[in-house]
This record gives sequence, structure tokens and C-alpha cells, in this order.
Amino acid sequence: MSEHNVDLELDLRGLACPLPVVKASKSIKDVPVGSVMKVVATDPGALADFPAWAKTSGNEILDIERNGSEINIFIKRMK
Amino acid sequence: MAVSISEQVRDLLKEKMNRQLLYYLDICARCGICKDACHIYRATGRVEHVPSYRAEVLRRVYNKYLAPLGRLRRDYGEVTEEDLQKMYEAAFTCTGCRRCMVYCPFGIDITWLISMEKAVLSSFGRVPEELSMLADAAVEKGKSIELYREIMAEQIKSYEPELRARTGMPEASIPIGEKGARVLYVALAGIHSILPAAIIFNLAGEDWTLSMFEAANYGYFSGETSKAAEIAKRIVDEAEALGVKEVVITECGHAFRVMKYLAGGWLKRDLPFRVRSIFQPFAEYLRDGRLKVHTQITEPVTYHDPCQLGRNGGVYEEPREIIKTICTDFREMTPNREKNWCCGGGGGLVAQTDLENYRAETGRLKAEQIKATGAKTVATPCENCRLQLALLNERYDLGVTITAVTDMLVEAVAVPAAKGETAEEISR
Repeated sequence: MSEHNVDLELDLRGLACPLPVVKASKSIKDVPVGSVMKVVATDPGALADFPAWAKTSGNEILDIERNGSEINIFIKRMK
Repeated sequence: MAVSISEQVRDLLKEKMNRQLLYYLDICARCGICKDACHIYRATGRVEHVPSYRAEVLRRVYNKYLAPLGRLRRDYGEVTEEDLQKMYEAAFTCTGCRRCMVYCPFGIDITWLISMEKAVLSSFGRVPEELSMLADAAVEKGKSIELYREIMAEQIKSYEPELRARTGMPEASIPIGEKGARVLYVALAGIHSILPAAIIFNLAGEDWTLSMFEAANYGYFSGETSKAAEIAKRIVDEAEALGVKEVVITECGHAFRVMKYLAGGWLKRDLPFRVRSIFQPFAEYLRDGRLKVHTQITEPVTYHDPCQLGRNGGVYEEPREIIKTICTDFREMTPNREKNWCCGGGGGLVAQTDLENYRAETGRLKAEQIKATGAKTVATPCENCRLQLALLNERYDLGVTITAVTDMLVEAVAVPAAKGETAEEISR
């Protein structure tokens, strides 16, 4: 298990297109720069989508955990 | 010397000008028939929501700089910041449903003009942040996909126990990126878009493989054609590398239209595979007896034609064929098919979270249509439509269930789910 100090947890399981990335993008603005947001997803595509989104939005993926069908992604707000 | 806004718009218009655009700009008689065909104008009654009016700034630039004798007209002013703002509101509050075109006596495609406005706005960097962000992330994913191939394939394996339970087939699988498969299936982000289709493909004995990419193309909605082309190219390249005969696009409004009718033009080449909407093979499987219906749905069901799949993609009959095979009480909305009312969620509007009240207001005619059918379930293939219909369900107190057609088909042909094991429940 990752030991990040999570400031915001976002449950994106089962959301319809295109809400997962839109919600993550909006929500990360609610935490201070340097803070960590955890997203919980069940979409296998999230494994590639979130790193791509983090790169283009200038944020950092700290960790990705896979737990059965659930995926936990830890994102640090960088700017 | 700095280029003025007018000159920049004029130059772009000159560069993009073709016979179709010229015809649309020249021929509009401002008869106003399009206003009565527009669900937005019918709901708000505001002049800026008259379809032909949405292209007014573009038309003014054309008339001033490019039309014969335009330079002699002193009443055509320069394009200002305020005009760009008007153009932005016109372009990004239209769902692109093209119902106005069906009713226009000259057949003018106003969404073509709106696409041009989006190209102009994109050249000034004025694109809704959400749409541009989604497009950028998709382009980036295409560049780095090899890094994630194995981990995605491993993750997908975790859904196979459910697949095997619902098919009753111990060998059922979700192949990903498999060379030589006949069909490449392109889903949307989310296991809810993968697992139900995987159940059907396995039951029908299809030779298929799953795409690494999602079908949605937000570069298309933002009007950033170069990004839209790159996003589509990821799937075209994948299909070519795998050597598939057919690309099947999941239940989605715009993705089928983009791949079938637009991608080849953007990439300037013919695509070496057939493109079909998921309903086309699924209807065939039912027709050919490759799927056996064991449970029929008896409560009243209606079908909403997504504008992008129906009016703009030509797929009307196959989803109806599937629904009529598995439901005993199918009720059409009136009007339907090419004259169907837009739900108000298209054009990327559902991704723009600040437009929720606008979407609720402009979906009024759709809500009335649904109510009039008396249906308890509304089936529709587009996820943007489903999000919008969920909003209308709540705001207009419709009391209906909104579902994908494939989810209904799975309930009719697959092994009944044990509690807590449906694709939907897994993903929630």
C-alpha cells in the first residue's frame, strides 16, 4: 500500500465518458500546490490516461496501485 | 506590423475557403426556417440561438473582405474582441446536431460554418479549457502507449472471471492488441464500455481484439483539427499494425462518424479496413442466430437517436432491430430518426461543466418527447446523450431508467448475473 498523505480522494468508478479526466482536472485545483489527490478508477485505460493527462497538465503521478479490478492513482499538484 | 484581428480571420477564411464554404456563406437567405428546427432556439427564444445567426460574424468577415463588392460596403465594421467573444459563444453552445440542415430549404450545413468558427477561435487560442485538455491528454497517450501496454493487458485480465461467468464459457477472454484478429473493437474509457461488448463478442464467436485507445475524439469537439487527426491516427495506426479487416466503434455518438467519415480526410488517405458501428455486427449476430435471446424485456422501452450516430452517421435501423428483438413493447418517440430532437448534450457541451443549466433548459423538447411515449426505459448509445438524459430525468422528473443498448442485449442473451457481479456494479 502507498503511504502518501492524501488531501483529496476522488471516486471515479463507473463514470461515463468523458467525466473521469474532467473531474480529476477540476478537482486538483481544489487542493494546494504540493498536495496529493488520490483517484480510484476501474477503467483499465486510466493506467495510461492519467499519466498522459498529468504530463500535459504539468502534474506528477507519484504512484499507481492495482488492487483487483480497482486502480488507485496518486497525483501531486505541481502548479 | 501587427496583424489585426480582422486580417487574421480573413487570412484563415481565405486559406480554408472551398466551394462548399463559399456556397453556404453566399446562399443563406435568412429565411429563419432553421430557428424552428433548433431545440435551443425553441427553448430560449433568443436571437443569438437562431442557427443562421451563429455564423453571422464569419459571414460579415466574408462579405467585407472576400465577397464581390464587399469592400464598397462601409457598414461592415472591423472584427473586434467583442465579435470574437460572440463567435465563441455561438460556436461552443451549439450541439452540432444538424437538425437545422434537415429543414433548411437550401441544405445549408450550419455546423460546417461553426466548425470554421472553431478553427478561427482555435487560431486565437480560444477553446474551452476542458475540451482542449482532453484532446491534449489523448494525443500524449498516443505517444507513450507502449509503456502501458503490458500493465493494461494485465488489468483487463482481472475482468475475465466476470466475463466467463456471464458467458458460461471457460475459455472466454478479452484479447488486447492481438495481431491477425478480424475485428478491432474500440471502446470508451471505462470497463462498462468493454465488458458488455466482450460478453457479446465471445457469445457470438467473433474473432476480435480490444484497442488500447478510447474511441472519443475531443479534438473534433474543440475544433482543433490537427489534434483530432492525431487522435484518430492512433487507432488507424493500431488497426493497420494488427492487420484487422474491420474497426468496430463502441456505442458512442461522434466516434463512429469521426472514424467512418472524417478520419480518412484528415489523414489524406483511404483507410484499409471497414468501419462499423457496434450495432451493425450485433444486429447481424441476432439475425444469423449467433446470439440466442432467453429473456425478453417486457416494460415499455423507447430509443433516443443520438444526432452524431443517426442524423450525422446514418445509423438508425440496427439499434432498433436489436431493441425490437429483445423487447416486447418498443415505443418510438415522435419525431424520430433524421427529425429527432437533440437531447442538448452534444458538441462537447456535457464536458463543459458551467453549461449545466443551459443544457437543462435547452433539453426541454427532448424531455417532453420522452414523457409522451410513456416508456419506463430510454435506451441510447451515446454516453454524452446518457449524461444529458440523466440531467433531464432529474430536472423534468421523468422517472425513467437510462441505459445503453448493449447492456440490454447482455441481459437478454447472457447468463443472468449473480448479485454484485454485473459489469455496471463492478464499475461502480
